[in-house]
Amino acid sequence: MSVQAPIAFYAAAEKIYPREVKGRFARLRKAAVVVLLGLYYGVAWLDWRGHQAVLFDLPARKFHLFGLTLWPQDFVYLATLLIILALSLFFVTALAGRLWCGYACPQTVWTELFVWIEQWTEGPRARRMKLDRGAWTHEKILRKGAKQLLWITLAVYTGFTFVGYFLPIRTLGVQLLAGAIGGWALFWIFLYSLATYGNAGFLREQVCKYMCPYARFQSAMFDKDTLIISYDGGRGEPRGARPRGSDARSRGQGDCIDCTLCVQACPTGIDIRAGLQYECIACAACIDACDAVMDQMGTARGLIRYTTEHATHGSTTRILRPRTVVYALLLTCAVAALLYSLGTRTPLILDVIRDRNALYREVHGDRIENVYVLKLINLDDRVHRYRLEVSGMEGLEIAVPQGVLEAAPGSVSTIPTRLEAPEATAGGVHHIVLSLQSVDQPRIGVHEKARFIGPMP
Amino acid sequence: MGTEAPEAGGELLDTGRGANVALVLWPSFLAACVASLLFFAAVDPQLLSDAGPRIFADLSREQGYALGFLFFWIIAALASSVSVFLIRTRRPPPP
Repeated sequence: MSVQAPIAFYAAAEKIYPREVKGRFARLRKAAVVVLLGLYYGVAWLDWRGHQAVLFDLPARKFHLFGLTLWPQDFVYLATLLIILALSLFFVTALAGRLWCGYACPQTVWTELFVWIEQWTEGPRARRMKLDRGAWTHEKILRKGAKQLLWITLAVYTGFTFVGYFLPIRTLGVQLLAGAIGGWALFWIFLYSLATYGNAGFLREQVCKYMCPYARFQSAMFDKDTLIISYDGGRGEPRGARPRGSDARSRGQGDCIDCTLCVQACPTGIDIRAGLQYECIACAACIDACDAVMDQMGTARGLIRYTTEHATHGSTTRILRPRTVVYALLLTCAVAALLYSLGTRTPLILDVIRDRNALYREVHGDRIENVYVLKLINLDDRVHRYRLEVSGMEGLEIAVPQGVLEAAPGSVSTIPTRLEAPEATAGGVHHIVLSLQSVDQPRIGVHEKARFIGPMP
Repeated sequence: MGTEAPEAGGELLDTGRGANVALVLWPSFLAACVASLLFFAAVDPQLLSDAGPRIFADLSREQGYALGFLFFWIIAALASSVSVFLIRTRRPPPP
C-alpha cells in the first residue's frame, strides 16, 4: 500500500447491514435459534410436582431444578457446573473454533431474532440502506414504527421471562396483567428488557468486538488443527470479475469473482478474504453466500469453507492431540465428580451445638448430663422421619428427645437434646458421635461428631 | 493467527471518554456478578438486618442482594478505573 491510511483514534461505529443469506449453515443457525429460544421461553412455564420446574428462588434462598432442590450449602454443585461449562467451552473451541459464538451465544441468538424482525419490517439489505438514507416518509415511519413495536414487545417479554426464573412466572404474569406488580420485579423486567433491546437491536456485533472477553482470549485455545472459517487464497486469487461459465484459470484468474457478497453477509462487517480476524464470530454466513455464488458460476463450492490451518497447508488435521485430550480428560473428571456427588448427596444436614452455659450437670444423683441443641435441616422435597442415636462412649443414653423426629420438606428444626451417662464412666472429655438415620429411607443418614464432658478425674 | 487488524505501532489507541467509562463499568459489572454469586451463596443478606448496623434494620432480603451487588460493583469499578488511569498516564516509551 503506497498511501498510509490515517490512524483513526476514535471513530463512531458504522452501522452494519448484514445481507440475508440462505444455505446449509443459515438453516443450522435458524434451528439453533428455534431450539435455544424455545427452551428459554418454554421451560419457565413447566411445572414439576406442584412447583415451577426451574426456579431460582432467591428470596427463599432455594434453587429448584426439576426434582432437585439446591440450598446455599449445595453451592459446590453450582460451582462444579460452572467449571464444566467453562471446560466444555475450551474443549469445543479447541476442536471446532467459535461454534459457541456462531450458533449458541445469547448475543448471537437474540441478534438473529431481531434481524429477522428487521428484515421482515424493513426489507432486504439494499432496501434497508435506502430507507435509512431517505426522508421520513409515511412508509418509513410505518416500517420503522412496526419494527420498534415488535422489538420492544419481544424485549419486554424476554425481560418478563427472565424475571420469571426468579419469581414464580404464573403469579408474576397475573400481577403484570392486573397492574399489581411489585416495584423491584418491574425494575428488573425493565432492566433486562433494556439489555435485550440494546444488545440485540443496537450494539449487536459491537458486543462481540468490544465487550466480550471470550472473543479476545479464544485464540489461546486455537491451534493449527482447530476448525476455522477460511478463504482459500490459493484458489481464489487473483480475484476479479469474469463472465458466467468462463474458465478462470485460462483467463489467468482465481475463482473469486470479487462480488463482495461474503463481506455484505458478515454480521461483524469484516472481509474474511483478509485472513482470520478476531472479529469473526464463525457464523458461516460468508460460506453460504460464497457457495451460492460458486453454484451460479458453475465452480466447485468451498472457496470459503470450514477448514484448519493444517488442511489449508496440505497436511492432515489431527483431532486427537495433547490439547484436546487434556481438555477431554479434565471435562470427564469434572462431570464424573458432579454426577457422583449428586448421586451420593444426602438431603439432610445435622449441626450439633453444645450448650455454652454449663459444661455438665449432675442428675438423679449418680448420672452426668450434657445439653446440646441439634439443628436438623431436611433438604429433601418430602417429609422424613428420623431416629437419633449416640455412640462412642460407654453407657451413653439419650434422655431427650425420645422417639422418632419428623421434619417437613425443606424445613429447619431446632431440637433441644440432653444426653446422660453414669458418673462412674463419664469422667473427662469423651468424643462421641450423634447419628441421625431416616426410618423411611435407609439411604438418608448423617453422623456428626461432638464432645461429652464429665467431671475431671 | 493470520492477518491481524493493523495496530498503531503497538501503542494503546486513545479510545475516548465514553469508551473509558465502558471499559471501567463493564468488566466491574462482570466481576460484581461473580462476587455476588460467591458471597451470597455463603452469606444470607438477612443477617444484615438481624445483626448489622441499625440503618439496615428494615432491609428485606431482595434489597440486601441489590445493595450487596451495588457495593461489589462500586469496589470493582474503583479497581478498574485505577487500572485505566495507570495505563493512560504512563510515560510513553522513548522513540
